[in-house]
Amino acid sequence: MKFVVAVKQVPDTVLIKVDENGSLIRVGVPSILDPYSEYAVERAVALKEEGDSVIAVSMGPEQAGSALFRCLEIGADEAYLLSDPAFAGADVHATSRTLKAFVEKYVSDAALILCGKQAADGDTAQVPAELAEMLDRDQFCYAVDIERDAGSFIIRQDYGDEIRTCRAPEGSVVSVQEGDVNRPLPSIQRFIDVSSVEIKKLGRLDLGLGTFSVGLKGSRTKIVSSRAVRTERSGRVTDGTDPRAAASFIKGVL
Amino acid sequence: MGCETCSGGSCSVDGKGKGLPPGMLEQYKLNSNRSDGYLVWIEVERSGESARVSDVSKEILSKVRSMNNGSRVWGVIFGHSELKPLYKEIHSYGVETLYEVHDRNLTEFHPEEYAVALAQIIVRTEPATVLMGATPRGRELAPRVAAKLDAGLTADCTELSVEDRVLSMTRPAFGGNVLATIQCTSFPQMATVRPGTFPIAEPAEGANGTVIYWQTGGCWLKDIVSSERVRREEEDISRARILVSLGAGVSKDSIPVAESVARKLGGMVSCSRKLVEKGWFPPSRQVGQSGRSVAPDVYLAFGISGSVQHLAGISAAKRIISVNRDPEARIGEVADEIIVGDADAVLRELDKIL
Repeated sequence: MKFVVAVKQVPDTVLIKVDENGSLIRVGVPSILDPYSEYAVERAVALKEEGDSVIAVSMGPEQAGSALFRCLEIGADEAYLLSDPAFAGADVHATSRTLKAFVEKYVSDAALILCGKQAADGDTAQVPAELAEMLDRDQFCYAVDIERDAGSFIIRQDYGDEIRTCRAPEGSVVSVQEGDVNRPLPSIQRFIDVSSVEIKKLGRLDLGLGTFSVGLKGSRTKIVSSRAVRTERSGRVTDGTDPRAAASFIKGVL
Repeated sequence: MGCETCSGGSCSVDGKGKGLPPGMLEQYKLNSNRSDGYLVWIEVERSGESARVSDVSKEILSKVRSMNNGSRVWGVIFGHSELKPLYKEIHSYGVETLYEVHDRNLTEFHPEEYAVALAQIIVRTEPATVLMGATPRGRELAPRVAAKLDAGLTADCTELSVEDRVLSMTRPAFGGNVLATIQCTSFPQMATVRPGTFPIAEPAEGANGTVIYWQTGGCWLKDIVSSERVRREEEDISRARILVSLGAGVSKDSIPVAESVARKLGGMVSCSRKLVEKGWFPPSRQVGQSGRSVAPDVYLAFGISGSVQHLAGISAAKRIISVNRDPEARIGEVADEIIVGDADAVLRELDKIL
């Protein structure tokens, strides 16, 4: 069986700056593998049995390769980086379409397609469901547990007010929420092995996509303006060494 | 005298109209989009004894009513006979035509089949705007529908405005540091709306409307092995107007003090993820990306340092007051008032003087 995990690289900071187009300035900002993506990879690795493989895929700039190396360290066997100047500025629609093209062309026999529940930066949580619809597959969001069960999967989902257990057919798209995964920590040997694994790079033409299907041109939404929130906050600092004075100050500003 | 282009003389054209058959126009604008109005997925809460309309749906309908300028409002609801008592209420919040996808199987949430039905109804009614609550189910369903319709979708909006049918959707992004205003490039424009963002307006008493039963005929149902309703104890922190929130910088003794302060202020107590991990609070009280996004008028943070995920959850708070010993704590980046001091002591004093 093949398990595909779609992962995202996110900036590791709250101090994010945007340029005049409202796009994120990534230069000079440290990046990490998104925490939910990490859970998804861990899930996939936990499901793996003899002869199975876990394939990590990420759409992003060249630097996103480091996030894919992290996936390999956790236990992914292969990694694909979907990178092309034309992919820049993609919204949910264009991103899902690109991932769909990848799944159909390279891993159409995937037993499960896993994603993180959401990403820490965009926080839209929309790609899994759009991808599922585009692939015409079942979707299982907010999964907290996945088990193999004779050719299908038993997935537990947490909707907040309902815990639901479903039988999922092969080929389903799953978005993973956190949950306990018993995963052995990667060995030193693993880190050494991983460093020699080549990350396969695919561009727009490899995926057979037209220029109007991807990136900014393939998007269905546009950012018309964006403003930093912090400037609105007054951010007044008050000395609170005297708790009584501080308490009456709070009462005063409530 | 006819136009002589046809021999039978059956056409009634007198030659003046340059051969246009009756009833036809000189020009047709077939490429202009006629989409207009609002369509709202009305989420039904079934965790209680009887089904009820969720608050977020009422909030959305209230917002639609305040920005609507004479356009139509449709509602879509899924379920069976248990929905009948809800019709009056739904109409009173401004839904003129309510489509009920009438199927006993659909009292349970089946995103694939729900999306099929919603897409059919959207194609039929041609709304300019489709809105849903940014609840776990709404955020699962909306992208499925958007992908079917090739529509643009904005998640978790905290502000909406409309001008000449074009919807501007504002949402916090990048951990709440940035408020981005987004527009869709085509119709229908889709958005999910963060619960607790808009006030619920007074319902219009005695409002009437139409209910249309809709059947999809499809049967893309999930194989649900078991489903367990988890009773949400007490109220939901995402609806509190005032939150007294505790973080790792407070001691366990402060919990009853915080409860007391919250009671006196008419608010609730919430916490950061660390305290849930310690087992001091249930996960339902956790604020942040992996917990709940909140939008109170005042967010009182005691001993909260402010992780990225936590800050994302409070970005919609109107005012943030932080008490923390560390003046460099990240929460200072978003707080209106930063009080540098001992959170436990300030909390105790605050309890005394309130």
